[in-house]
Amino acid sequence: MPHADSGPARSRALRLAWPLGVAVAGVVAGYLLSVGLSGYFVFLAVSAVTAAIAILGLGIVTGSAGMIALCQLTFAAVGAWVVSLFNVLEVPGGFVVWLIAGGLAAGVVGILVGLPALRLRGVNLAVVTLGFAAAFDVTLLQIQFPGSKDGIPVLRPEGFSTDRGYFFFSIIVLAVCGLVVFWLQRGRWGSSWKAVAFSERGTASVGQSVQQAKLTAFAVSAALGGISGGLLAGQVQLPFASSFTPLQSLALYVLAVMSGAYLIDMAIFGGILWVLVPELLKRWGVPQDWGFVIFGALGVQALTSGTNLGQGIRNLWWKRADGRTAAARETAKADAAAHPAAVEPPAEASVPPVPAAPAASGEPALSVTGLTVQFGALKALDDVSLEVPAGSVMGLIGPNGAGKSTFVDAISGFLPHASGTVRLGGTALGRMSPTKRARLGLRRTFQQDRVPPALTVDAYVRFVARRRVTADEVAEVLDFFGCPPARTRLAGVDVGTRRLVEVAANVLAKPRVLLLDEPAAGLSHEEHLELGARLREVPARYGMAIVLIEHDLDLVRTVCSTLTVLDFGRVLASGPQDEVLADPAVIKAYMGETEML
Amino acid sequence: MLQGALAGLAAGGLYAVLAVCLTLMSRLVRVVNFSQAATGMFGGFVAVWLVTETGVPIWLGSVLGVLLAGVLSGVIGWIAATWLSEADTTTRSAMTVGPLLLLISLSFILFGNKPQPFASIISGPAFTVGGVVISQVTLVTVSLAIVVAVAVRILLTRTAIGTRLRALSERPTTAELLGIPSKPLSIAVWVVTGVISAIAIVVVAPTQSNDAISLAMLIVPAAAAALLGGFKRLDLAVVGGLVLGVLSGLVAQIDEVSLIRNFLPFLFIVVLLLWTQRKEVWDAAR
Amino acid sequence: MSALIIDDVAVSRGAGPVIQGVSFTLEQGRVTALVGPNGAGKTSLLDGISGVAQISAGTIRIDGTPIEKLSRVARAKQGIVHIEQGRAVFPSLTVRENLSLTARTPAEIDAALARFPELEKRIDAPTALLSGGEQQMVVLARAFAARPRFLLIDEMSLGLAPVVFMRLLPIVSEIAEQGVGVLLVEQFTHLALGLAEEALVVASGQVSFQGPAATLREDASLLHRAYLGGAAA
Repeated sequence: MPHADSGPARSRALRLAWPLGVAVAGVVAGYLLSVGLSGYFVFLAVSAVTAAIAILGLGIVTGSAGMIALCQLTFAAVGAWVVSLFNVLEVPGGFVVWLIAGGLAAGVVGILVGLPALRLRGVNLAVVTLGFAAAFDVTLLQIQFPGSKDGIPVLRPEGFSTDRGYFFFSIIVLAVCGLVVFWLQRGRWGSSWKAVAFSERGTASVGQSVQQAKLTAFAVSAALGGISGGLLAGQVQLPFASSFTPLQSLALYVLAVMSGAYLIDMAIFGGILWVLVPELLKRWGVPQDWGFVIFGALGVQALTSGTNLGQGIRNLWWKRADGRTAAARETAKADAAAHPAAVEPPAEASVPPVPAAPAASGEPALSVTGLTVQFGALKALDDVSLEVPAGSVMGLIGPNGAGKSTFVDAISGFLPHASGTVRLGGTALGRMSPTKRARLGLRRTFQQDRVPPALTVDAYVRFVARRRVTADEVAEVLDFFGCPPARTRLAGVDVGTRRLVEVAANVLAKPRVLLLDEPAAGLSHEEHLELGARLREVPARYGMAIVLIEHDLDLVRTVCSTLTVLDFGRVLASGPQDEVLADPAVIKAYMGETEML
Repeated sequence: MLQGALAGLAAGGLYAVLAVCLTLMSRLVRVVNFSQAATGMFGGFVAVWLVTETGVPIWLGSVLGVLLAGVLSGVIGWIAATWLSEADTTTRSAMTVGPLLLLISLSFILFGNKPQPFASIISGPAFTVGGVVISQVTLVTVSLAIVVAVAVRILLTRTAIGTRLRALSERPTTAELLGIPSKPLSIAVWVVTGVISAIAIVVVAPTQSNDAISLAMLIVPAAAAALLGGFKRLDLAVVGGLVLGVLSGLVAQIDEVSLIRNFLPFLFIVVLLLWTQRKEVWDAAR
Repeated sequence: MSALIIDDVAVSRGAGPVIQGVSFTLEQGRVTALVGPNGAGKTSLLDGISGVAQISAGTIRIDGTPIEKLSRVARAKQGIVHIEQGRAVFPSLTVRENLSLTARTPAEIDAALARFPELEKRIDAPTALLSGGEQQMVVLARAFAARPRFLLIDEMSLGLAPVVFMRLLPIVSEIAEQGVGVLLVEQFTHLALGLAEEALVVASGQVSFQGPAATLREDASLLHRAYLGGAAA
């Protein structure tokens, strides 16, 4: 392929450029509107922009990170309060500096409010934020905004002091906020938000702190709230508490949920709705409170159906796009079938013998001593000791319920009450959190699907790898494991393939030890064998030891140099594969299954 | 001082009743019902409207209002049981924000945003201890909280229906596979807690700030109280409600700290959360 | 005698079908073993029959009446009892309370307990405190008290000591002898086949063998091929 070199570079430049292009186009359109609209609509439009920025923030916390936050306008009030204060104090730098300070202040308040609720699940955050909104509302009525008693209006930025000018200014702020959110969503933070919304365990197991993910989401969201409030302070110039009531925060939350505000365009659409619905009701002579009644009903509809406007439209679009790529892939497959030489056959017969376990002289990659886990009266793991030699594949087998998954959970730090010692290449892991263990080079996959569907394959692989990887490296590992291409959306692939992507991503992270919990469940027999063949090559190719939980003894035989058999939480046998499989105790535990398979 | 603390006890009893309802909902139907107080508020407002506009006797108006609150709560429960039966607690709870918003706004439209002229059903002092007056409202709400908590406990542990409800709350799918009808039972829980909340609100509303927002936002101190029992224990929910009521009564006495009064439930929540999550917990499901 | 007729059933999870094209008849009074490698779709099939999951194709009938549109509760009332994987007791409920969920009278509780004398001294203990074997006994007794017509059992052996499991297996035969059609999913293939009259092997989401259990008992290579997903039957 001659154009292979210029292609990715060009598409990369395009990827960087198009959001900028959209932002510039938006600003130009904003300018035209600011000139063209009538005065009354300009004022309304500023309201829509401030609402859009607040909803943009809510989209991060409620949409991407999956939490309930009910005090967005309280953060806006914080922003407005800071802007008013700086205005009264005549802090140098003018409105832009005040606005940024307002955003930062709201972000800090957001962190303080969010901090106590982060370990527990979403509902607690809802309770905390609603409590905060209610408390702050009453307090705000008592203390008022700085300068409101003396009627000192907030000075708008130089050159943007007319209503039209200010609208143009607000459009620029919106464009900047949109760009920042876009890049954050595409980056590591964005991936961590989407990951934490889907699975906290999955997030921690790739070395991402769950608390940090939630806290950044909440802080960014609050900061956007603050900016929105600051902007509103400049719009009305004398802000009042009535613009920031808890009821409006509730409505904004519902609006964010039903429009799908984690999508930037939908946040803007939400901002427009926020202004449009009451305005229409006013024109039709209907009490404006009906607006919130409508929002409430639509919010219930959105939450019960589990979908929203923006996602619905995108799903429709993607369905068509997927149809086209699927057709293209079929053609490619047919091509490949026509030229079988291009595809390496999973030659079972010519499989070289399993590499012997490396000499025991080197330090083991993982050593476990006396690992015990107790659930009530049941000892799920009882004094388990084993060593995984560096650069080897160890099979962990045993009947269902023997404690294999418990073993993986305990080693990876999800069972803090486990006793015994675990050493990773000489480092005792003690009571380290799963996040820390993952960062030290201990990775695991899950039996259940814990791959966040909101990400693309590429974003997920980079998120899991936790190191700088080139596009070529990503493509190579995906190809090696037979995963779909990097730009595929994970929502569109089946669970078996998702788990394959999970394995590939964790391999690319190059940990010392990788624990694979039944990676092949959900794959067909052929894919199953192919995965086994790939896993054999992983230690030499990527430099790590693998612990493989697997049921298919055929596969275990061909892939694993050493084996450990668990039975009722105890180690029944552990050592080189042939010795273990010949052990009468092992055969008995399998109750004849070994002779069958 | 003491008089102030006891003055807070009436509100404390209301918090306690609502906290018991929230706890019950959380345990039995996996939801933190943000509209718990709002349905009661709406029922109360309708009762006031019935009494002032149509001239029905207070008792009848109140009964009708309370029943309406039960029906409203049941409708929300029906929505949850029909479309969100498999959803997690967060999604189910998020759904109840919709009715909260809707009911407050609807009450603005129908009744305005001013405090409502609630007629007292119960008023006057009940008795005096050592120079301190205990009002009848205090007596009724505090006993209502205790009675409801005890009655619920007996229902859950001693009756066949209680056994079924507990089974449903522990393993809903398994319970259904045994033929236990989850939908009618959980809707019944919604209706009953809606009725109980409304009774408490109608009793206390004449002595409290009783505009729509204030009443609907009673959910905040109630949630704080329920949090003391981890949304699981009824007795601690009652204690939490009473303590919170007494504390805010006390704080209201001291001018220097009156700003704190607004933040009292919030601080209560924060402290409890910090305490309950000292240790890292990994939810098996996520 | 009635029969549970599964006709060309598929169950989907997320992207596509996990199991499809399944047809068989579960007759009252007989044990059918359903075996196959992990991830083959056995649990999904049971979920589809009992209503835990909706089936995506095919029909399920009891005699002539279709039931695939009914709710779980309604199917339970039709006499289908599904024992899920992993000791499905209600942990805070006592043994007696667990049984009272399905037994109509105290006498029925006693009758169910008669098969498990071990449970009698623990009758008022919360089931969370029981051993794994005792918990599984509670589950079986509870299912028995429900007087099912069809009983679906998913991996009863999970996490149980062999000796405990061997104690429980004959109960399954006894239940079948009372006129219950039993569908037994089991990882210990040989034990399951030893007990069953009929057998079904599924691999990679499809039925790879269907016929008398004796055939598989006698021909190990046939079973092996069926496990690997080849067209053995």
